[in-house]
Amino acid sequence: MDLLVQVLINGTLLGGLYAMMALGLALVWGVLNIVNLAHGAFIMLGAYVSLYLFTYLHIDPFLGLPITAAVMFAIGYCVQRGLLNLIVRAPMFNTLLITFGLEVVLTYLAQLAFSADFRTINPSYAGDSIVLGPVVLPLARLLAFGVAIALTVGMWVFLLHTTLGRAIRATAQNLVAARLYGVEPRHLYAVTFGIGIALAGTAGGLYGTVSQINPYIGAALTAKSFAISIIGGLDNPLGVIVGGLFLGILESLTALYIGPTYADVASFGVLVLVLIVRPTGLLGKAA
Amino acid sequence: MLKISGLSAALIAAAVAMSSGSAVAKDIVLGASVQLTGPVANTGRYYRDAYQLAVDKINEAGGVKVGHETYTLALKLYDNQSDVNLSVRQYTQLVSRDKVNFLLGPFASNFALADSAVSEKYQIPMVQGGGASDQIFSRKFKYIFGTLAPASHYFGSTVEMMKGLDPAPKSVALLYADDAFDVSVAEGTRPKLKEAGLTLAMDERYSTNATDFNSLLSQIKSKNVDAVLVAGHETEILNFVRQAKSLAVAPKMYSFTVGVPSEDFRKALGKDADYAFGMTAWLPSADLKDQWFGDAAQFASAFKAKFNYDPDYHAASGAADVEALVKAVEDAGTIDPAKVRDALSKVDFDSLYGRIAFNENGQIDLPQTVIQIQDGKLVAIQGVHGKIAAPKYPMPAWDAR
Repeated sequence: MDLLVQVLINGTLLGGLYAMMALGLALVWGVLNIVNLAHGAFIMLGAYVSLYLFTYLHIDPFLGLPITAAVMFAIGYCVQRGLLNLIVRAPMFNTLLITFGLEVVLTYLAQLAFSADFRTINPSYAGDSIVLGPVVLPLARLLAFGVAIALTVGMWVFLLHTTLGRAIRATAQNLVAARLYGVEPRHLYAVTFGIGIALAGTAGGLYGTVSQINPYIGAALTAKSFAISIIGGLDNPLGVIVGGLFLGILESLTALYIGPTYADVASFGVLVLVLIVRPTGLLGKAA
Repeated sequence: MLKISGLSAALIAAAVAMSSGSAVAKDIVLGASVQLTGPVANTGRYYRDAYQLAVDKINEAGGVKVGHETYTLALKLYDNQSDVNLSVRQYTQLVSRDKVNFLLGPFASNFALADSAVSEKYQIPMVQGGGASDQIFSRKFKYIFGTLAPASHYFGSTVEMMKGLDPAPKSVALLYADDAFDVSVAEGTRPKLKEAGLTLAMDERYSTNATDFNSLLSQIKSKNVDAVLVAGHETEILNFVRQAKSLAVAPKMYSFTVGVPSEDFRKALGKDADYAFGMTAWLPSADLKDQWFGDAAQFASAFKAKFNYDPDYHAASGAADVEALVKAVEDAGTIDPAKVRDALSKVDFDSLYGRIAFNENGQIDLPQTVIQIQDGKLVAIQGVHGKIAAPKYPMPAWDAR
């Protein structure tokens, strides 16, 4: 019984991190209709930004997250303004092609800049944990979970209740009408993508405190974020939390009861199932 | 005096160059496809650098003597981007278009397994020190030679050491990644654990590149397993150790097939790397005499001086691959691939890496020395001749370090 409780806790904490990773992808996809195949590479870059802030400026990885987010926002803004705005109304295939290329370029630039060495963001408390009787709550994961939930809920509030959030949604829904109301779409696209990349970078900072990082972690993280976005649905940030938690718990239970090799089989199996049965995601509006 | 000797050396060199004429320009080209980018580039670089260092050293010492002629070694390297399919294509290109004379190996068993089919098909000898899986050598291929110990023997010395530990570990968890090398390790380890009278409390296969070990670690804790043996890749081992700490899972001991000997691993984990057991078939000892480098210690310092990081057994086996080919060419007295293959099957010499003599399957067997990280340093614990240093055992709880 204790083992099951522990594994459920592990899965929940993992799920929070998953949700955080997927949030930016879901936002960019939902609003800009860009499936950003470079998303994982941006998570990786965010992890390196956090690592360098921690290693050279001795900024705590959690306190440094706003800086990481700001740096990544700037990168995201520039990428959208200079590159992706060119293809924003192009067929989906073009966006896939260009973001895939971006992923390759970012990955190899990262190897040039940071080498292929494995790194960890390892503050003194990274391995600490809170022990509650028979179960253990790893501190870094708990903090990462907290940040993830706070940002996801914050995202939801932002999109629903702020002027900028409304403008972003309005542009996504009806570009012509949004323009008539004075929205400047190119800037707004770039802001949206910037926010998405800032979220990816934040996820990267969190990821680096619980896992090793190297220039090649991106592709797998894109795939996972993709699955979570599909399972959770794109039109609601809370769906991403549900998708993330669902996947985290599912993988942990699969590893416990069926075997660790089957964790990925289970998550991508569910992805296929959701696509067949409920293509708008678990929380998405029925098609 | 110095000037005169310098001048005379130059004169002799010039005379040699003139007398041997066109022979000087002749190259023996060694081809290889190595992971210079991609997820395993971190280990691939050992092979690139070791090949280069060995080639340079042998050329400096006068090159390769084949009959009355002297050849210079040249290296033709491709980057396979850590992609097995690309690697196979590049080896095909090396033999069919680039017409290299001999092949050196890639890193990792799944690569060597696929690439050796190319060397077999074109009948070009490949000496590789990057793949240890028994599968590579069980196919009766004639053109593949390997300088890593068989994967199935990797945990042998560790299990031997475990018998002598006090308090003796009783239950063991065996975890392994689902690739050619690690599956072979697990297959070889099971009977050894049984023989040693240890209970196999967990026997779990996980996906290569897995990042989440929390479920496995929670089971290890819940079953109160004494010893954990993990056959996997460095990235997995790093995540495993970090997550063990965060879940406060501290078995009496844990041991890993890879990671522990490499500097990168110890750097990434800091003091959390302490107490981890590992294994290596090679340590840079001055006892390992070598024709070109002097000994293994000199090889290690030359390597560090040139590439600015410490070599581990991957680098040593890579350098030995070049040496084995050179020995075989000199023994054969020709660069004919079939004759060099026959000579390779008979080579027997001491290298910086150890004694190189291939068995009938083309593999050598070097015993693994058990190592442990103690206060940030790599300590040899148990070798072929028994105990070398005392292991730090049992591992204390994480909050008691």
